[in-house]
Amino acid sequence: MVDHMSSPVVQIRSVSKIYPLGKTQVQALRGISLNFEAGEFTTIAGPSGCGKSTLLNLVGCMDVPTEGEVLVEGTSISTLSDKAMTKLRLDKLGFIFQSFNLIPVLTVFQNIEFPLLLQGKYSPKERNSRIEQLIEEVGLKDQSQQRSNELSGGQRQRVAIARALVTSPRIVLADEPTANLDSATGERIIDLMKEINRTHRTTFIFSTHDPQVMKHAGRIVRLKDGKVVEA
Amino acid sequence: MKPWEVCKLIFQIAFRNLWMYRFKTVVISMLLGSAAFLTVLGLSLLRDVEASMRSSIIESVSGHLQIYSSKAKDELALFGSMIMGRSEVGTLPDFAPIRDEVLQNSNVKSFVPMGIDMSMLGRGNELDESIEALRAALKSGEPVNIQDKKDHLRFQFAQLRREHIEKRKIYQNKKDLDEQDAALSVVESKDYLESLTLQDEAKIQFLETKIAPLSGEKTPVYLMYMGTDIGLYRKNFSKFKLLEGEELPEGQRGILLSHKIRETQLKNMVARIFDRLNKRVIKNGIPIAGDPESTRDVSDLQRQYSQILVQLDRKEAEEISRKLTEFGIAPVEAEKDLITALTGQLKSFLVVNDESFAKRFKWFYDNIAPLMKLYELSPGETIVLKSYTRSGYLKSLPIKVYGVYTFAGLEDSDIAGAANIIDLLSFRELYGQMTESSRKELDEMNAKVGIREVNADDAESQLFGEQAPQNIESKSLLNESAAPVAEVLNVKQVISNQFELSEVSRGLALNAAIILKDPSKLQETRKKLEKDLKAKGYEVQVIDWQQASGFTGQFVNIVRMALLFVIIVIFAVSLVIINNSIIVETFNRIREIGTMRAMGAQKTFVLGLFLAETGLTGFFGSLIGTAFAVALLMILGQSGIPAVNDVVTFLFSGSRLYPTFDLSLAVGAPLVVTLIATLTSVYAARHAAQIKPAEAMQEKE
Repeated sequence: MVDHMSSPVVQIRSVSKIYPLGKTQVQALRGISLNFEAGEFTTIAGPSGCGKSTLLNLVGCMDVPTEGEVLVEGTSISTLSDKAMTKLRLDKLGFIFQSFNLIPVLTVFQNIEFPLLLQGKYSPKERNSRIEQLIEEVGLKDQSQQRSNELSGGQRQRVAIARALVTSPRIVLADEPTANLDSATGERIIDLMKEINRTHRTTFIFSTHDPQVMKHAGRIVRLKDGKVVEA
Repeated sequence: MKPWEVCKLIFQIAFRNLWMYRFKTVVISMLLGSAAFLTVLGLSLLRDVEASMRSSIIESVSGHLQIYSSKAKDELALFGSMIMGRSEVGTLPDFAPIRDEVLQNSNVKSFVPMGIDMSMLGRGNELDESIEALRAALKSGEPVNIQDKKDHLRFQFAQLRREHIEKRKIYQNKKDLDEQDAALSVVESKDYLESLTLQDEAKIQFLETKIAPLSGEKTPVYLMYMGTDIGLYRKNFSKFKLLEGEELPEGQRGILLSHKIRETQLKNMVARIFDRLNKRVIKNGIPIAGDPESTRDVSDLQRQYSQILVQLDRKEAEEISRKLTEFGIAPVEAEKDLITALTGQLKSFLVVNDESFAKRFKWFYDNIAPLMKLYELSPGETIVLKSYTRSGYLKSLPIKVYGVYTFAGLEDSDIAGAANIIDLLSFRELYGQMTESSRKELDEMNAKVGIREVNADDAESQLFGEQAPQNIESKSLLNESAAPVAEVLNVKQVISNQFELSEVSRGLALNAAIILKDPSKLQETRKKLEKDLKAKGYEVQVIDWQQASGFTGQFVNIVRMALLFVIIVIFAVSLVIINNSIIVETFNRIREIGTMRAMGAQKTFVLGLFLAETGLTGFFGSLIGTAFAVALLMILGQSGIPAVNDVVTFLFSGSRLYPTFDLSLAVGAPLVVTLIATLTSVYAARHAAQIKPAEAMQEKE
């Protein structure tokens, strides 16, 4: 516990990422170094193409750096197999997407249950109490048996937040979580995330280019042309 | 990890996707369903057909195995082959030691010697028969009978006269006609028949030699027959069924006519055509109009009126003419004389079409047929078979017809019962092999005509050298003027109608049927027999019933291959469609799969999801296909499938096949189809599993 509190959850050491694009190459990140501490509520800002998504992919263990090292809770992700990386995502990370990415035919409850079923760690009873608590927290108590495609955008994103949190991850990554929502709803979603950040001590790292959202962040990391301009 | 819950999750999502892509699901499940349908239906039917055909063949002629000479030039084909005429299957010069060796095998139940060959049937025309009947009546001395036969002959003369007048109109060779005219005039004189007695042999011979030929020669009929040890045959072939007459007793020379041959070759032509049309038009429901086969028969039928006429006497002719008038076919007014009138009536009666056929068919059998001799041969008669023996000379053998047989359940089949059955001794005579009695007979003949043994080495000098008897060259067996030869030809009394049973338990046969105790060890036994016989130095081959029955036996295998080919094609098409659809779907579902991967679903989860989707499609599709097949089989099991033609009758072992369904097939087919569908989608599913988790970030378009 002490160790966790003292060392950063995510360490990024001189990371570069190069994507092939046709015959040329795109350098998405150019030797950046960053740390994310436990319990942070950080936004990654910057214009389109600045490398926000690339950085989130690396932190989210969905990609490996071309150069440098990404350590999640002290583990260098470049050393992990696909299977181990998947397991790491399942156990330590939660994801919130811009388009919510719920599974349409499953109910609110089933969508939230999905990662728990993949984990297979909990008994149905344990699962139920976790899910119900989260549903209440995100304010969807009355919708728990509805299909996700019957919900509004804001409600969907709440489901997505609950789904991201259900495994009690160390880090929740959110890619432009408010981009598809109107500003009032977006505001409420950020408030919800911040609330959870406070009560659960979950690290939040999210990308946005909305100044309204940015002002809620505890820390802003600004990227430009693959480099950190403000941390 | 809780696999059960993961599986549940996979199936839940899989179901959703199947529903979402309903069109694709329906197409693929229909394809897989039809594969299952064909598999269950086809294999069930084939299994039933094979079983029935197996019994058709094994229990009628072939037995489980057939043995014949390995020096045979042709393959043994019990149900006919592509070779026209007699096939050369070699001989078993003495089957006794081979039989004893075969019976050593513990799985062999019996050994039935056989031989298939054909001979020409000596046949006279209707006038020959009437003259023969008159001769018999004269012998009997019954005045009424004699008068009847004479009247009948007179009526036939009248018909000949009428034909003669017609001939004069078209024939060029007047000299021949004048001769015929003179001969006919002789017998037409009132006194000629009236005063005829048994003593007037010259008059009767005049009828036989000068008048009977005027009625024309009948085309020769070749009769196929199987010679066998009748006692052994009856014990081992359960399909045999006697229809008419009596069984051929053991130790007795004789022939049992095949019902089928009698119906198709030895029945009166009018009846035969009526039968053929009845089968096609009424039983099989194929209308005459537009059916070339029936149309040909209909036009043939119209020309066959004389086949009725020649069989009638004056009284019968009058009766038929009267009845036909009642039936609605009156003679044309101007035609006063009976023959001309009836000819016209019969001609129009025999013009049938779809409307009139059923009624006329019945009328023919009710009114005309009873007055006719419907069959050329019937039990109790003695026929003469003429065969060119293997040694090259013409052999005539009188043989008594004992009965008419058929194979149970195969009455309608042309293939079964393609052969009559004769005793093995007569078979050998006609084949050209000397039996003890015929050797004795030949010795007697030799003594009578002065033929002696000639050594092959010095045959030339003996026959044509100085010591050669001068008269031998002029001796022709067919020259009736040579008195001793005429006596020789009269062989009926010389050959005994009975023989020692020991004569059929050894000696010549062409092939033999082997009946097994345990048919499931057929191939095993076949190989062992062949090996054992070869080791003992016998030049024979042993084949199974399927091979022995030629193309017929192979039929099921051929159909099975074709069916499997069709099923494989359907599977191949399904495979391509399934894979394509998964690959297309993968593109549509990149974000969804990426999300699952991002959230921590392993590649195997994605793989499982896609396999579950095709597996479910395959399972439900094939379940429906199987259900249809089972339902159809159950309906057909009730109503039966009618055999559309003779070949099918044989395959069905009856006029209808009542299919059954095999539970293991109904359960196995959906499982196999599901498994195959699932396995074929592995490639595409692996492709889908390669989607990167980062694709979850991809935005909606």
